Amino acid sequence: MASSDLPLKSELILNELKLRQRTKELVDVEEERVKVIIFTCAAKRYAFYGGDVREFLPACEISWVPGLPDYLPGLINVRGDIESVIDIRPFLGEEKCDGFKGLIAMAVRGDFRSGVMIDSIEDVVDVPQSAIKPPLSTLNGAARDLVLGELEYGRGLVTLLDIGKLADKISL
Amino acid sequence: MRQHGGNSLNLLLFSVEGIDFGIDAEQALGTAAYDGEEAPGLLWFHEELELPTASAVYLTPAIVTVGTRGGGEYRVIIDAMQEITEFYLNELRPLPAIIEPFAMRKGIWGVLPRNGRLTLLLDFVSLFGRREAALFPPPGLPPPGGGELVEAGEDG
Repeated sequence: MASSDLPLKSELILNELKLRQRTKELVDVEEERVKVIIFTCAAKRYAFYGGDVREFLPACEISWVPGLPDYLPGLINVRGDIESVIDIRPFLGEEKCDGFKGLIAMAVRGDFRSGVMIDSIEDVVDVPQSAIKPPLSTLNGAARDLVLGELEYGRGLVTLLDIGKLADKISL
Repeated sequence: MRQHGGNSLNLLLFSVEGIDFGIDAEQALGTAAYDGEEAPGLLWFHEELELPTASAVYLTPAIVTVGTRGGGEYRVIIDAMQEITEFYLNELRPLPAIIEPFAMRKGIWGVLPRNGRLTLLLDFVSLFGRREAALFPPPGLPPPGGGELVEAGEDG
């Protein structure tokens, strides 16, 4: 074969690059992405699946109700609907919240719906499902019951909490 | 608890320590001003509901007399009592599912959103139902703590 019939090295490399790019795009298209909401609670970062949070409400008066455990500070009025509020700090091994000035995430999963007290929203991001890793075995025992997994965000790891597990825990 | 005409409920409204409560007016057999008496069997509302306060301040205390299912009566000191007011049932709300089992143990069965605040609907009969045996022991048995309690009411 005459040397002039051989593809140029640059052509070979370019073809390889295009092949790799197509393969990557194919992977990107096929991999399921999920929306997660990254928030802070007790000065630590956590996340919920975006599909489990209907809205965020500014801090408002929480009406105390007799007989409730520490993790249920009371009731709020959301446009005429009376909703419960959960303080998840005790489940995360933190002190319960006093003088709440953060946000209330309205969490909904199946029949379960409740406000959840958080400090602030950090970000809302779409991540590949594969980016969510199983929780570390060294994770705090109290928080472990609520954890679905962990994902990298910025330079650290964020703990993804499961609203379903929270619902199960509250309903026990 | 009977509902007036099926569509409304007369509520006796009061507040203790800034928390608003309402009871079915039919549960109140009578009301009277509290003049500082310390009769046995006279109950302080904040102690019965275990409000989150060590010592409650009552600005305008009043005594409400409530009947029990067993025919007894007990008297509870409440505060800031208002006029009995009729509310339509569609103004009342049930408790959220995760709150209800805890609140019901204290006789709280619903909520009335009103004037930008939430009024807790309280069933005194339910609250004291579990304690009725202690509050009104069978004849011949002293009540716990040795106190003398109001006899089962003939006028209730």
